[in-house]
Amino acid sequence: MADTSDELDQEPLEAVFYPEGRIPLVEWDSVSGAKPTVVVTGVVTMLAFVTGLSNLSRATVVLNGPLATLLPAAGAFARFGGVLFAFALGPITVGLRRRKRLAWQAAVVAMAGLTLLPLTTFAATDVPLFAAGFVTLPLLVRNRGSFDQAIDLSPLQVASLSAILGVLLYGTMGAYGLRDQFLELDSWVDAVYYVVVTIATVGYGDITPATPLARWFSLSVILFGTGAFTVAVGALIGPAIESRMAAAFGNMTASELTLLEDHVAVLGYDDLTEPLFDHLDDDADRVVVTPDADTAARLESEDVNVLTGDPTDEAVLRDARVDAAKGVAVGSGDDARDVLAVLAVRNVASEVRVVAAATEGRNVEKFRDVGADEVINLRELGGRLLGASVVDGTSPEEFLGTDRTDEETGTTDGDRSAR
Amino acid sequence: MGTSGAGQSVSSATDLLVPVCAVSGGIVLAGFFFPEFVGRAVSGGGWLALALVFFASGLGYLALLPYADGEPSTAAAYLLRVRRTGVSELVRPLVAGLDPVTTAGPVAVFAAYFAARLVAPTATGTVVDAVSRTLLRDGSPFFLGVTLLAVAYCLFLLFGSWGDVRLGGPDAEPSYTYPTYFTLVFTAGIAAGVVFWGPAEALFHYRDATPYFAADPRSTAAAGSALTYTLFHWGVSAWSAYAALGVPIAYFVFQRGAPLRVAAILTPFLGADNLDAPLGRLVDALAVFATIGGIATSVALVSEQFLAGIGFQWGVDAGNAGPVLFVGGLTLIFVVSAATGVHRGIRRIAGLNVGLFLLFGVLLAAVGPWGFISAAGASALGSYAVEFLPLSLYADGEWVANWTVWNWSWWFSWAPFAGLFIAALSRGRKIRTVVFTGSVATAAATAVWFLLFGGAALWVQQVGRADVLAAVAAQGGSEAVAGFPVIAALPLSRLLIFLFLALIIVFMVTSADTSTLVVSVLATRPGVAPSTGTIAVWGLIQGAVATAVLVVGGGETLQALAVLTGGPFALLSVVALAGLTRTCYRDERGHTSLVERVGRRLPTVPSHRDIDPPEED
Repeated sequence: MADTSDELDQEPLEAVFYPEGRIPLVEWDSVSGAKPTVVVTGVVTMLAFVTGLSNLSRATVVLNGPLATLLPAAGAFARFGGVLFAFALGPITVGLRRRKRLAWQAAVVAMAGLTLLPLTTFAATDVPLFAAGFVTLPLLVRNRGSFDQAIDLSPLQVASLSAILGVLLYGTMGAYGLRDQFLELDSWVDAVYYVVVTIATVGYGDITPATPLARWFSLSVILFGTGAFTVAVGALIGPAIESRMAAAFGNMTASELTLLEDHVAVLGYDDLTEPLFDHLDDDADRVVVTPDADTAARLESEDVNVLTGDPTDEAVLRDARVDAAKGVAVGSGDDARDVLAVLAVRNVASEVRVVAAATEGRNVEKFRDVGADEVINLRELGGRLLGASVVDGTSPEEFLGTDRTDEETGTTDGDRSAR
Repeated sequence: MGTSGAGQSVSSATDLLVPVCAVSGGIVLAGFFFPEFVGRAVSGGGWLALALVFFASGLGYLALLPYADGEPSTAAAYLLRVRRTGVSELVRPLVAGLDPVTTAGPVAVFAAYFAARLVAPTATGTVVDAVSRTLLRDGSPFFLGVTLLAVAYCLFLLFGSWGDVRLGGPDAEPSYTYPTYFTLVFTAGIAAGVVFWGPAEALFHYRDATPYFAADPRSTAAAGSALTYTLFHWGVSAWSAYAALGVPIAYFVFQRGAPLRVAAILTPFLGADNLDAPLGRLVDALAVFATIGGIATSVALVSEQFLAGIGFQWGVDAGNAGPVLFVGGLTLIFVVSAATGVHRGIRRIAGLNVGLFLLFGVLLAAVGPWGFISAAGASALGSYAVEFLPLSLYADGEWVANWTVWNWSWWFSWAPFAGLFIAALSRGRKIRTVVFTGSVATAAATAVWFLLFGGAALWVQQVGRADVLAAVAAQGGSEAVAGFPVIAALPLSRLLIFLFLALIIVFMVTSADTSTLVVSVLATRPGVAPSTGTIAVWGLIQGAVATAVLVVGGGETLQALAVLTGGPFALLSVVALAGLTRTCYRDERGHTSLVERVGRRLPTVPSHRDIDPPEED
């Protein structure tokens, strides 16, 4: 104890004022990246919602801002703007989290629009929102490069979305054109209102078609509209639910998992190792363990047994029945994770044969150290094949057949012994 | 064991602070956004407590956040040891690290003061008042002269060749980026007074009219001269007092190897290795006394004023225990902030302080009477420039002794701690930068504040939006209440008042944590970092003095006593500047002055003879 206290006391005075490195006022790097941008956008969303609620809860909304006289419908904007912006910003924040380009564009527009709100009301409660938007906009601009993922819509999704848009346009234009043949339909706003109420199958009945033509038109809107709406819901939400389900279990039920025996467990899956595993013999069952839900969904569609989970997690490996497996093939393309996966396999099953695919030659020994029975160095293997083929004229097949003594590059060795 | 245990206790402290901060902040925000529903559900005292808990937990969390990653907190390591060892072992390292002279001297003086105050309250007050009145009145020419000298010397260093000296050698790198440097200097050297006096001082000069300008009280002319005088009292002259001690300390510490303490200014007379001489110890002890006295009384007075202002604005009576609890909370925050170090607590709270300061200023400029402020501000700045010298030399009468001289003495009494802190941060910077930051940039920031807030207050009073002076008079002339009616008369007042209160607390913390650190450095053996325990002890002493002031009373008297130390330090700054001049005159030739530097930058107009054929490459 005395030693520690002396050490503390003996710290030189310089340590108080001059810690290592230069001291910035704010650690900009830690607060200005893409992740903080998403967080700040989320905060703005919540703030917009609370501010909007605050404005909604008032009997009268004050309009003291410089824009109050310039904006049309400033009163309605001030009253509902905050909450509506929050509803728009919610999905935008989710999109930003997935680094979507479209979400970034929408966020910039929404932030700019959001600053109009305090400038309209100029209430004390709106100033925090203004300040938050003021902070978020530069962050968004600064991190524009990080949000570069395109929105991948399937053809069905694109089709259903355009169908909805088309029906809305068709219904609105048509209803407005036929306004003389409708009761109480007088303006564009009425036309939009009528179409939405009709498509949503609410049908208040305040606007009604008065002639046969208008009735046929209304029927067509109902048919196409509800159809497009239903298809769009299925197309947009279905895949999300499916991938959730895949994420939960892969395509294997709990009972199927317990039946596994003498199978080959494949831990990790990527472009590099994919062809390797394609050549595994079909006699044995294969179970692919991958943390990536998208890969899992794709494999599943190819009728491969998939378990979605982290291959470095012992619990997941127990689910994959590694202890009852004939062999385990490890190869996610990331050596560091694969070493962990091998360690995890050894924790669960000390006897099972483990074959690892190393991407870097210098990692081969590390795989051996943590308990891999065989290590395949893909790069070296490819190099040797290429060299043998060019120099000696050996065909790759011959080469594979003869070079089985070399342990370092033990090629199909792993698969064979796993059989 | 120690490191992981320390990490755990810090993380458990922050684990506790986060929910406290979130819950209190959430309720405060709910009250802010939904005054109709939530606002009425909680009483006024409840709101005050909630807001203070929110501030305190937020600031504490900010200070405790780790710097970079995995750095163990020495505070937690210390607390861990507290649990494991007996009291004697605990106290021993604290006492061992303390320097007997600089510690016992000031503590004895405080004890004596409070004893005298308890035994004979009136007599003590009368004696101190009489001494201070005599000193300030008869010493007027001296204080005015020294302040003017400090300004002149700063100008000389700014433009002359000695300003080119890089502290710590030509290759020294500054440890702080410039924004950090400015923020730390600005927030350390100025306390919550700036928040109270921002609206109040200009109003007071408007009410009474200053003898120098001799305008009619409450006239338009008085309003103009009031702003000018406010600028004068908080401008370059005031900040130059810090530079007058800070630059000599920095020079002798980094160029002549003196230990980092106030006595370093005596290096040219005693020698760098001989600063332990009785004279050096006396200077350090005096510095400790001035710092603790100045800061602790400020903490106590500001706490009273803070609660008085709240009582005035919302009718919330904090009771007798209120200020004591408030001081206790402040002490906790500034001890944590000081103990976590310059790079963690002190820097972060200072950054927050400047951020809030900027936000408040921007909002005030946005909602305030911009036309009035800009017109009055421009004319006040012009008048400040023109009248600077006459104002600096004007020494007639009681008024100057009560305002200008009192003010200079106050700034000089803070100069040892502010100067030492500025010096410590300045390694690797040029003297010119130090002077520019310490007396020009900081003065400019203060001036903008006073023009904005003072201008708004004058406008509110003159236009008749609110009778601020009547409110002040109703509260016994306290400057603490002046800000509230001014803000209430402006748009966005609810938000501004919230920021106003936050600013008072944060300004108080940023001065008190720095002073705690500086005092701990002064009271520890030279060259050794003060242990976390020492810092905590000194923070608690400051808190104890502040509490004693509240309980025993006589805050003004003790403040007068602390301000009187400005006299010796004004004298010492003359000595320091003389020593600096002598040393620099001998050793620092051959540097480039700013004038030469600018001259070199100017494009030279070639004469006929100089034109060479253009080189082609």
